[in-house]
Amino acid sequence: MSFIADKTVYKSMGFCGVGDGANIANIDVKDGKVVRIRPVHYDELYTKEELNYWTIKARGSQFEPGMKSLLPPLSLTYKNRIYSKNRVPYPLKRVDWDPSGERHPETRGESGYERISWDEALDIVADEIKRIHDTYGPASILCQGGGHAETKNATGTHGVQTAMFNTLGTGCVVQARNADSWEGWYWGGKYVWGNDPVGEQVQLTNVLKDIAENSDAVLHWGCDLETTPWGWGGQLSSRTAYWFTEIGIKQIFICPELNYSAAIHADKWIPVLPNTDAALQLAIAYVWMTEGTFDREYLETHTVGYDQLERYVLGEEDGVPKTPKWAEEKCHVPSYTIKALARYWAKHSVSIGHGNGGGYIRSCFSHEPARLEICLLAMQGVGKPGANQFKFLEKSLFYDPTVNPYPRPEVIPSTFACFKGALLDEQMLGKNFVPQTLIPNAIGGEKFDWYGHTMCTFGIADQLKPFQFPNPGNQPIHMVWSTGPCWQTCWNGGFRFQDVIRSEAVECYIVQHQWMENDTNFADLILPVTTKVEEYDLNNDIESGQFNMMYLEEPAIEPFCDARSDYAIVCGVAKSLERFGGIYAGLHDKITEGLTDEELIKRGYEMSGIPLNQMPWEKFKQQKLWISPTVKGWEDEPAGLIGFYEDPEAHPFSTPSGKIEIYSSLIADNFPDDVERGPVPHWVEESPLHHERITSDRAQEYPYLLMSNHPRWRVHAQHDDCIWLREIQTCKVVGPDGYAYEPIWINPADAEEKGLRNGDIAELFNERGRVLGGIIVTERIMPGALYQDHGARVDTIVPGTGGLDRGGANNMICPSATTSKNCAGEVTNSFLVGIKKVDVFELAEQYAEAFGREYDPACGLVASARIEKEEG
Amino acid sequence: MKAFVIDIAKCNGCHNCQIVCKDEHCGNDWSPYAKTQPDTGQFWCSVEERVRGTVPLTRISYIPHIGAQTEALREYAGEVLLPREDGLIVIDPEKAKGREDIAEKFEGVYWNAELQIPQGCTGCAHLLDNGWTVPRCVDACPTDALRFGDEDDLADEIAQATKLDEDSHVYYLNFPKRFIGGTVVDLEADEVVIGAEVYLKDEAGKVVSLARTDDFGDFIFKQVEPEAYRVEVKAHGFSKRALDADVRALDLNLGTIDLSA
Repeated sequence: MSFIADKTVYKSMGFCGVGDGANIANIDVKDGKVVRIRPVHYDELYTKEELNYWTIKARGSQFEPGMKSLLPPLSLTYKNRIYSKNRVPYPLKRVDWDPSGERHPETRGESGYERISWDEALDIVADEIKRIHDTYGPASILCQGGGHAETKNATGTHGVQTAMFNTLGTGCVVQARNADSWEGWYWGGKYVWGNDPVGEQVQLTNVLKDIAENSDAVLHWGCDLETTPWGWGGQLSSRTAYWFTEIGIKQIFICPELNYSAAIHADKWIPVLPNTDAALQLAIAYVWMTEGTFDREYLETHTVGYDQLERYVLGEEDGVPKTPKWAEEKCHVPSYTIKALARYWAKHSVSIGHGNGGGYIRSCFSHEPARLEICLLAMQGVGKPGANQFKFLEKSLFYDPTVNPYPRPEVIPSTFACFKGALLDEQMLGKNFVPQTLIPNAIGGEKFDWYGHTMCTFGIADQLKPFQFPNPGNQPIHMVWSTGPCWQTCWNGGFRFQDVIRSEAVECYIVQHQWMENDTNFADLILPVTTKVEEYDLNNDIESGQFNMMYLEEPAIEPFCDARSDYAIVCGVAKSLERFGGIYAGLHDKITEGLTDEELIKRGYEMSGIPLNQMPWEKFKQQKLWISPTVKGWEDEPAGLIGFYEDPEAHPFSTPSGKIEIYSSLIADNFPDDVERGPVPHWVEESPLHHERITSDRAQEYPYLLMSNHPRWRVHAQHDDCIWLREIQTCKVVGPDGYAYEPIWINPADAEEKGLRNGDIAELFNERGRVLGGIIVTERIMPGALYQDHGARVDTIVPGTGGLDRGGANNMICPSATTSKNCAGEVTNSFLVGIKKVDVFELAEQYAEAFGREYDPACGLVASARIEKEEG
Repeated sequence: MKAFVIDIAKCNGCHNCQIVCKDEHCGNDWSPYAKTQPDTGQFWCSVEERVRGTVPLTRISYIPHIGAQTEALREYAGEVLLPREDGLIVIDPEKAKGREDIAEKFEGVYWNAELQIPQGCTGCAHLLDNGWTVPRCVDACPTDALRFGDEDDLADEIAQATKLDEDSHVYYLNFPKRFIGGTVVDLEADEVVIGAEVYLKDEAGKVVSLARTDDFGDFIFKQVEPEAYRVEVKAHGFSKRALDADVRALDLNLGTIDLSA
């Protein structure tokens, strides 16, 4: 017998891609089942010489990429996800939703499902589209396709249905994917130093080499390199941080919780109260200003508006000097530590590392800490050797060759010529779109306005454009159609989403998904989707930092039950729509462009940028994997912002002045009345939109600031059903009722005050609702703050505002208001909550039906709990 | 003789080893080497998390455990092992039928009630005999914290290693002992004290180690033996401070040491 496999295929085991794959894995298949998922060894096909294998040498040591993919556990455990008891087996219709009779919107989330045939399901979708088009017009259909799903190209997801309406020519209302990974940078950083499109330093060429050669320390500010990069690029970041330690680079972590990186890499952990970094930053500036320990000459030649910042920091503007003592009260970092940090930084070469930021740049007013960080970097001459800002993920973000701090590849192979989802561009958005953060407002029939397309790919000028919803003449939204649905557990205010999705106005709610989770449980019609392991596709791995590559993804196994790819589903809907003739005639072929799956993938490959004379399609089909060599002479390319540092006139930023704008003329000119984001970054205590400080009146009732990072054992809403992850010590807390609750970390001092002990079940609460969790009393969180990962599966006990969620999806009780008045970003972190112990048996009595739903101790929630009739 | 060497200083706690062990054995029958492991509940390879210290000197050590690979098992129940030249301990699922005692006696060996067999790490012998050079856990380790090979080839590392079980073929580098740390400050001046001399003395008063506070006023003694110590802090212009530092049970963050008090 074979102990290895009958066949082996390549798959991207990355979980967010919109054309940017990651985490290449080998899937071994035996007897039609996945037997194992394992790293790919590049040396099975390539020699180091062929790859122009890179090494960074510094301080008597060297750093290498290695010759195997550095997969995270999220990839390796994926068998659990493929064979999950929570998979949607076949098309399902909500039992009390009758498209030709009573629709019962008010029972969404509560009523069960019955099996229907694919023909019936596809006809219902087509009939509903036709009915909505005729009755209300195309702008009454909202299409959601987020970024939080499997990485696919030719098989869709990420808004493949949106693309259908574009092809049809009617358009629809498009959910614009927010700049959710970069909120503070996007809405703040860009005004200071350009760096479009996301506002973090984008010129990162050779920054790691520069750090290794020139930096004394790396500040990891709000950065968890041992968690955030996993789903998007694996674990090279971990090796990098170990190497920093080995060569004597001091690693300082600034974050409220001892995140998974600080826990193992920190030489110094500075706990800071959630979303008070701006106070800490201002106090650092104060120390430098009063002690004269900053680069005044650089500020004169490289920046504009420093004097206004100095006026504010020294208290000349508002009578309050931003001293370390002033900051200590706000951020709970001792003033002597603030001074020590400021002086250390002024004396040394310091770079700042990010995993995009997590809570640091995802709370209210997040543009302020983002902007202040850049101001501080500028005060110490950012761009000089050893002083850059960099990040541990997204090494080929938007195919920009300069964003990779590791030695870069010759080719970043693109999959866009076979991408069937919704591209992140203006054409796809059309006239009628809604920022992802304002979706409940749109579904709820509100009229509102905002600035910018809010998409991560758009430049700064876009943020100055006003938009509104609905556009004049348009009817409200009456149909919602989602792919990769996870709004409730990923965005800002899930209970409010439940309010509006259960409203009369929403006549039809269609979801395409693999798993019975989160928003899926509220749909009228659920269409089962194949996982990528079941599909034929083309993918790349351009995010590992090791090498860039392209590979053919052959199907490993047969589709699960009755599942189909997102693309196949939409093609099926298009075919059904053709019954109506007129604009719908020939729609199916317009979508497929008459191409078979293989022809589509071949087109994708041949337009990928790979030199076809070296690797023509036929040869690639045999070899299945192509890896780009590292670019020749990479080591001679200038590092980071050295060009700007040495000659800012010749290397200007994209700000109006070309310099670092500590005072932003763009903000001053375009938003003169903005009290939350003025021309110079400030500490904003509160605003009409947000009362999320420990000094707020609300803090009387909700005294703790909740910190919520990217989850360690999930990628946002994905992986919560993985049975091997759920067994890990820090993944779940099993309650006395046998239910695996999402952990809440609480400091021993706070736990004692609240009478909470390890293993207790407690609720996090505010006026928006209640979310349960299992208590871990730990020194990993500072007093005054609580920690809970985000993204646990919603398990609604009481739906809607003021409701109760058993799963621990704290996005349910996030503020609904956006970053600030003129910034439509998310606030999903560092908000006020109360905490108290609950008796789960009392709750079970009170909510007998919801607590009594079928539950699997290993997997948690299961699809069969929701399916009432297996035969339609 | 095959051995595992595990470097604790390089374990980032990702649990890949624990996960891929399950990926290999849960739901997969590798007879005659091993029968199917139940979907959950058994940990032939597991990762233990130890949270150490207190805010803000909290750190974590992760300890991967590989069970069953111990000569003690061979000695106790050699008759149920598959004969192998490489010294890997592989419990023969046929011969070991009914031997619940083995699971009771050895950590990392589990009783499969359904199949009535004791089960544990096989070193992925079924893969090694078919072209693989390392077991799944080692292959999946992203930081090279886990290594596998012949004891002779690993001799240099083994010479510096410790074992949790004398008869085990699993060796640890940098296995955590204790740390003692703190921050020296002058609260009156609201400043940290940089360059203070910090002496670590044993119960007999002998200086075990000396540290100087860094730019943040911090000092730390790493990898000290779990004993009762005294810490003495001396800094120019301040009187000497001495504190008890008993780390027999746990690591110790002495917190803020105020020399002006």
